[in-house]
Amino acid sequence: MTRHMKFTTLTAMLALAGGAVTAADKTLDIGVSDALTGGAAVYGLPQANAVQMAAEEINAAGGIKVGEDTYMLNVIAYDDKANPTEATNAVRKLIDRDGVKFILGFCCSGATGAVASFIANEDAVMLVGNAAERSITTREISNLVRTRPPADYTGAAAGTFVAQKGHKKVAVLGALDVGFYASYVDAFETELKKTGGEIITRESFGLKDRDMSPQLTKIRELQPDAILVVGYVEPAAFIYRQAIELGIDVPRYGFTSGSEEQFLRVATSEQMEGVWDLRPTELTLLSASDNGIAYHANYSEKFGIAPSPSSPYAYDQTYALKHALEAAGTVEDTAAVAAALREMPIPAEVVMQYLPVDGKMFDVNGQAYTSNGAFQWQSGNWVFVQDLPSDAAAYSAFLSTID
Amino acid sequence: MKLRATHVLYAAALLGFVLLPQLITVKYYLHLSVLALVWVIAAQGQNLIQGYTGYVSIVQAGFMGIGAYSTTLMGIHFALPVWLTILLAPCVTALFALAAGYPSLRVKGHYFAIVTLAFNLVIFIVLMHATDLTQGEAGISGIPKPGREDGWFDFANRQVYYYFVLVIAVIMTGLAALIVRSRIGQTLIAIRQNETLVGAIGIAAWKYKLFAFVAAAMYAGLAGALYAHYQSFINPEIFGLAQSLDAILAVIIGGSGTILGPVIGAFVVVFLPEYLRFADSFRLILYGLLLVLATIFMPRGIVGVVGQLWARITGKAAS
Repeated sequence: MTRHMKFTTLTAMLALAGGAVTAADKTLDIGVSDALTGGAAVYGLPQANAVQMAAEEINAAGGIKVGEDTYMLNVIAYDDKANPTEATNAVRKLIDRDGVKFILGFCCSGATGAVASFIANEDAVMLVGNAAERSITTREISNLVRTRPPADYTGAAAGTFVAQKGHKKVAVLGALDVGFYASYVDAFETELKKTGGEIITRESFGLKDRDMSPQLTKIRELQPDAILVVGYVEPAAFIYRQAIELGIDVPRYGFTSGSEEQFLRVATSEQMEGVWDLRPTELTLLSASDNGIAYHANYSEKFGIAPSPSSPYAYDQTYALKHALEAAGTVEDTAAVAAALREMPIPAEVVMQYLPVDGKMFDVNGQAYTSNGAFQWQSGNWVFVQDLPSDAAAYSAFLSTID
Repeated sequence: MKLRATHVLYAAALLGFVLLPQLITVKYYLHLSVLALVWVIAAQGQNLIQGYTGYVSIVQAGFMGIGAYSTTLMGIHFALPVWLTILLAPCVTALFALAAGYPSLRVKGHYFAIVTLAFNLVIFIVLMHATDLTQGEAGISGIPKPGREDGWFDFANRQVYYYFVLVIAVIMTGLAALIVRSRIGQTLIAIRQNETLVGAIGIAAWKYKLFAFVAAAMYAGLAGALYAHYQSFINPEIFGLAQSLDAILAVIIGGSGTILGPVIGAFVVVFLPEYLRFADSFRLILYGLLLVLATIFMPRGIVGVVGQLWARITGKAAS
């Protein structure tokens, strides 16, 4: 065989081999519907980024092996602005036009509720992230799972923690228009009352409000033992800042899930010093596992900004989906994939610290549970201080009783 | 009756709407078409008060909300059939519109717009805070479709719902045309052109204005009810100021004070933002820019532009 023939044969073999690889690797489109613009983008955009990053990691590691085929993930993301109609349109587009069967993201409860109202009739699987409204996983929707626990699950743990601190008179300032914030406060109050404590006032603010001086002035006159702030990051940061400016010198507790970077856009580190955030044990660098540390580093490098603490809910969705697809052995049979999600143990790659129920990541309602944690702002960082009491199995049983 | 070009146009448009589901291969566009038809009804109502009477009302989405919540809550609490609650929803909305319109219409121009805007805010806040009744921001899900599961038509099928809304949109458009052609409609147009003169010749203008306002609200209430049963989910977010501005835009872009204008405008405000999704985060900037340009360069809307073009082609003055 001449050198020229050898070269031609080698080239042909390489071409064939390359072709064989290409033929075996298929693309699986997965969708993201989330708030990429508007006020809720502080939660939605990091979630969309997290899905993209997870998909790239999965692809780089060889894709998803389903039966004889290997699938590379392609993410199609649409902005739903946290608006129910926009979310419906985005998901209809993903399912009807783009042919997507697996939809992730969903940071916000209103938009998520709208999609959840029809997803049971669709040939698709919906994986909900940060949206915390309890009713999303009480509707017995077999093709829906959620990685974030409901707000009242965390609120009860927070109430116990604050009661243990000895506070009897707590003033609440929150985005109480929003259902899941209100349910957090309700559960908080129930636990506080068990030790003789009470909520002395519930002051509300709109998600776009930035001057909370009137509410804080009223709260100051009531002389509370502590204040509890529940709401989106930016208004909460203004409250923490203005509380200091108004000379309110009592412990400040919150439920916000904001990153250090997000808070420091509004308040100084000195103004934030000592603030507590009582929330699911989400990503905080000083409390993170090895997965969390790697996630933080990779996200920061890829997007040039630190990830928000709640963004791994979406990252974890992607890995949960990967394992469910592999377990189900199909990308077409969405019922099988949905069933596999409910049967799977907690994947090794996830960032959040999930508490299994009966050894599974998702309970019969499709709900996952993380541990709850008390985080405190110390010298410019959220520092994990301690776990909050979290009984996932008991809450799961309670969730199953709700119509 | 002499067959005019406009009649042929209406017939062709109607045929197009009837055939649309057969031509659409992607069901997503059928979904958008259903939403657009709902907006056609809301925009026809907006056109009565804004286009024909000359009063810009910024509460149409709020009235849609009243219609949507009233049909839903009547179904939940009184176990009334969906057909009945859909019919009752505009009546409930009319009661609220009467209460709001009577004091609101004592003021004119910008003041009227501000009063209606405030009323939309009040509706939104009540829907958000009356959580025992409305479930607040979490919204109400599982709103049933019309008809029974073993009935002739499966309203869960989007195509069936499309034709259902189409029939209602055609009826409501026809009703709007009848109102405009009637003595009432002519009086509304006269009010728009010179309200002082209308009063000077002994016509109680306020009664006609109130009629237009309440009629507009009933259109919105019906649209809201149809929306609720189509989406099976409502929360206050859908009935905010931004959506009221969409109703105004639908009228302006389509052609204010024309019957066809709100039909075209409703499809524009539903489809255009969706088609601009390719622009990603610039989508809303682009949408806003297009609307600004359209308003500046097409003050009479798409119907006006087409009318002018048609007049140039035929050599006749545009009507």
